[in-house]
Amino acid sequence: MIRFIVRRLLQLIPTLFGLSILLFIWLRRLPGGPETAILGERGTPELRAQIRKNLGLDEPLLIQYGRFMKRMLQLDLGTSISTKREVMTEFLERFPGTVELTITAMIIAIGVGIPLGYLAARRRGSFLDSASVGGSLIGICVPVFFLAYVLKAIFSENLHLFPSSGRQDPTLGATRITNFFVLDGLMTREWDAALDALWHLVLPGIALASIPLAIIVRITRASVLEVLSEDYVRTAQSKGLTERTIRGRHILRNAMLPIVTVIGLLTGGLLSGAVLTETVFAFSGIGAFLYEAIANRDYPVLMGFIMIIAVFYVLVNLLVDVSYSLIDPRVRVR
Amino acid sequence: MPLLDVKDLSVTFARRGQRTVRAVDGVSFSVEAGEVVGLVGESGCGKSVTSLALMGLLPKQRGVTVGGSAMFGDTDLLKTDERTMRDIRGRDVAMIFQDPLSSLNPVVPIGVQVTEVLARHRGLTGAKATAEAADLLNRVGIPDPTRRLKEYPHQLSGGMRQRALIAMAVACAPKLLIADEPTTALDVTIQAQILELLRDLVRDSGTALVMITHDLGVVAGMCDTVNVLYAGRVVESARRKPLFAEPRHPYTTGLLGSVPRLDSGKGAAARDPRFGAGRPAVAGRVRVRPALRPPCRRLCR
Ligand SMILES: Nc1ncnc2c1ncn2[C@@H]1O[C@H](COP(=O)(O)OP(=O)(O)OP(=O)(O)O)[C@@H](O)[C@H]1O
Ligand code: SF4
Ligand SMILES: [Mg+2]
Repeated sequence: MIRFIVRRLLQLIPTLFGLSILLFIWLRRLPGGPETAILGERGTPELRAQIRKNLGLDEPLLIQYGRFMKRMLQLDLGTSISTKREVMTEFLERFPGTVELTITAMIIAIGVGIPLGYLAARRRGSFLDSASVGGSLIGICVPVFFLAYVLKAIFSENLHLFPSSGRQDPTLGATRITNFFVLDGLMTREWDAALDALWHLVLPGIALASIPLAIIVRITRASVLEVLSEDYVRTAQSKGLTERTIRGRHILRNAMLPIVTVIGLLTGGLLSGAVLTETVFAFSGIGAFLYEAIANRDYPVLMGFIMIIAVFYVLVNLLVDVSYSLIDPRVRVR
Repeated sequence: MPLLDVKDLSVTFARRGQRTVRAVDGVSFSVEAGEVVGLVGESGCGKSVTSLALMGLLPKQRGVTVGGSAMFGDTDLLKTDERTMRDIRGRDVAMIFQDPLSSLNPVVPIGVQVTEVLARHRGLTGAKATAEAADLLNRVGIPDPTRRLKEYPHQLSGGMRQRALIAMAVACAPKLLIADEPTTALDVTIQAQILELLRDLVRDSGTALVMITHDLGVVAGMCDTVNVLYAGRVVESARRKPLFAEPRHPYTTGLLGSVPRLDSGKGAAARDPRFGAGRPAVAGRVRVRPALRPPCRRLCR
């Protein structure tokens, strides 16, 4: 198992290497460049050239890439062109918000999706079943930002149940350690701060959870239905086992395999997909920053972000594979 | 009073847009304590549906209707509520299924699958349960039981898997064991061993056994009483000896005639090609069959 994990982590190196080359070339070939963003349409050709030279963009691609690689090896992502700050610093400040939001959304999606999918399968053809199948179809179709607006309008602007924007009430003056606000609150025992941060996560979390929730309900239902027709479930019943044992040990344990795979894929997707939700709730995660970085052709920021997402994807997938082999003895990792 | 008295059992499956299937149509038979009763019949004649109905394991959905009664002591297995059935299943009535691989949970160690029955019905947990499980595996002839307890179904051979399933079924010394074609999915050489094991287990413990099979060789080898099923009905019910010596119903005759020649000891009568043509003429007796029709009174001698 340990060897498997180490090998997978080593495989990460060539993957990242290849990805960085592709990205590097692709980004540089996008029309426009940082100089346009800085000068707008007014800049004279001389000024533009000057800026490109300052940023080192006039040199051959290979040399630029070499410089980038050298910095990467020292875990230095460079300096943002637009904010002039270290890309790493920017990320450490903004990523935690997005990660917190992603985790919240995933907890909601898993916590609601698996039980709902299970019940729908057990009561196939019932009202609950049709409702969750139909509901999940709606969940997939409704755009996330639209749902976000609706949630905000109803639950915060009309009913005032939840805050409408931000990650935390700034007047609390909470201490920052990791920039994961909930975690910080727990670590410093500032319970009110932790609770407030959690409260700010609810609505954007629900909005972001909608699509993964719908997918998890469907996959769980399908998977449980398949397991229900297996002989070993009948064997378990013939032993007179309690409903709880049959559900947990015999049905869900087998049904989990495809569900875990899907959860892995969804989590990776969520992290990069949180942007719109963050915008609606003025949630200061990576979203808005990334959006500007694209508009400004802020190469170091974009490269850094995508590399981090790639690492994240690989780690989540590793986690999926490890849990797979923990669930199913037939899937042996070597 | 018999241990199990099945009267007029019928099961129908109705599906929207499809013809209603009468899978079991008025089946009656009884099982005495400690007796081995065979349910014989070709594929699709309702043997599995009968056993599932007795266990209360038919799909609980609209369209599935079960009629008749199955008295097991004072309880009617067909009408008891699910909670009582859960107590009865595995403790008083246990079942062994046809395909040992698919009948075992692939992601749970054998040991857990054995001890969960012990925990449920005998309140055994921890080291006690493990010791008892190892003892059970030993009794069903699985060598090195402590190691096997930790293994998963895919690590066992086909014969061993069926032995493990048998161990789970006899874990609580049930009064009645239903075996639904327990050897069909197994290699021929292993079939005999498994049958022998089953026969010895029920003989030693006094458990009654309902042996479901389409193999008359199996019936000849171990059953005290035989019920021949055809299209959801019992067409003939007899003690083993008279059935083989003197089948009454033409379907039974056909079944006897269709037994392949290569089987063991007691099936000798079944092998006799004369059964295909008719009963041997015994001096001083006349043929019974012509007297039977019509209407055909072939059930139960
Ligand atoms: N869930 C179900 N829905 C509809 N029909 C069913 C269902 N289960 C069984 N049947 C029908 O009931 C009949 C009897 O099936 P059963 O499984 O009892 O046969 P069997 O005697 O056990 O055959 P085999 O020797 O092949 O196991 C078949 O015609 C089958 O199609
Ligand atoms: S009378 Fe009916 S059951 Fe008897 S042999 Fe003839 S057809 Fe078969
Ligand atoms: Mg069958």
